[in-house]
Amino acid sequence: MNIETVEKIYDIYTNTFSVYKLTYANGIICNVPLNEENTDYQAIQEWAAIDGNNIIDPGA
Amino acid sequence: MAITRIGNPALANVREPNFRNIIINGDMSQAQRATSVTGIGNGNAGYHTCDRWKLHEGGATAAEFTQSQSTDVPTGQGFAKSFKMDCTTADTSLAADEIMNIYQRFEGQNLQYLKKGTSNAESLTLSFWVKATKTGTYVTNLYDNDNNRAIGKTYTISSSDTWEKKTITFAADTSGVLGNDNASSLEVYFQLFAGSNQNTGSLQTSWGTYVAAQWASGQVNVADSTSNNWLITGVQLEVGTTASDFQFLPHDINKKRCERYYQNSFDVGNIPGTSTDNDDAELTTSWTDGNAPFPNPYRTEMRAPPSVILRPRGSTTTGQVNNGATNRSTSADQISNKGIGYLNVSSGTGGQFNAFTYELNSEL
Repeated sequence: MNIETVEKIYDIYTNTFSVYKLTYANGIICNVPLNEENTDYQAIQEWAAIDGNNIIDPGA
Repeated sequence: MAITRIGNPALANVREPNFRNIIINGDMSQAQRATSVTGIGNGNAGYHTCDRWKLHEGGATAAEFTQSQSTDVPTGQGFAKSFKMDCTTADTSLAADEIMNIYQRFEGQNLQYLKKGTSNAESLTLSFWVKATKTGTYVTNLYDNDNNRAIGKTYTISSSDTWEKKTITFAADTSGVLGNDNASSLEVYFQLFAGSNQNTGSLQTSWGTYVAAQWASGQVNVADSTSNNWLITGVQLEVGTTASDFQFLPHDINKKRCERYYQNSFDVGNIPGTSTDNDDAELTTSWTDGNAPFPNPYRTEMRAPPSVILRPRGSTTTGQVNNGATNRSTSADQISNKGIGYLNVSSGTGGQFNAFTYELNSEL
């Protein structure tokens, strides 16, 4: 599925970046752990490497 | 006490595990995500129906299929389900970069007994039942994802819309050691169509470095008519040069094996993204700060920390849970391969119930 947006989510107990909020083009939202073994995480890195694609960072 | 080994004598020296079939869900009996999905074509690479079976598509194909878990099976073989691709929009003139296939990926840590990349490497035999409307030559491949190596073999559909059993042996590969980890090492492919970029010259029938043009050479175009169907079941990949009878597993064992890669909270037969059955939901109670626990641990430990989809009870909206009868935006946080640390419920109310469904995806 094609990625629409990616946003950083911060752990409210540690104030550290802990998970991605991934929204697909079909509107489905999922949370993606920061783990290289996760294929959605891999897809996010590939998507973010393309010019024009930016990960939203709302801050802690 | 002496231990007697029961099995194929020809394999007596192979450290074959009790699960001799490398394929998971080869009988297509598990379909946790859905049993039928329409409009499968351009932009739809991924898992749709039968567990562990992934669709790959490349190029902007005009072809579309309905993918389903079918009850059309070979008579008298013990199978109840098959995997079906039914062409609903034809593509009679494939662009060079178009390709579609069905494939399954395997963790390297489960394949060390193949001894691939050593002088003692094992041959592999692939057997399956297939039924296709379009007669002619079809291609199946093994791909070594760790070392970018490939081999292909053909099978022939000689009778239209008739179940046929096929057996294909792949030579041992003495080059390219498979990683001993949970990443994708070996992959098995069934081609459906391929444009000239991957369908020219002669098929690469011996192990070697992957050559795109020789990946699917000779493959017919299953998408050239809306009359075309392609069904498969009883898929088995095993060590050796002969195919043994399909190894049926108990339903619970088969499902557990699939849940290592994908699991959800939905009742059997209810489809994530479609079902609004309250019985699909889990319930937990919010902590005083309004956030909530997840019902840990997962039913089955997962291959890797999974991606998580949450929906409120009775709703198909994603990224929310029902907190005290109000749907609120929610994120899963501190995700591991055994459980989830907590649900971050936006403006959640403490002491309230949280009702939600979930999907966990840790596919290769």
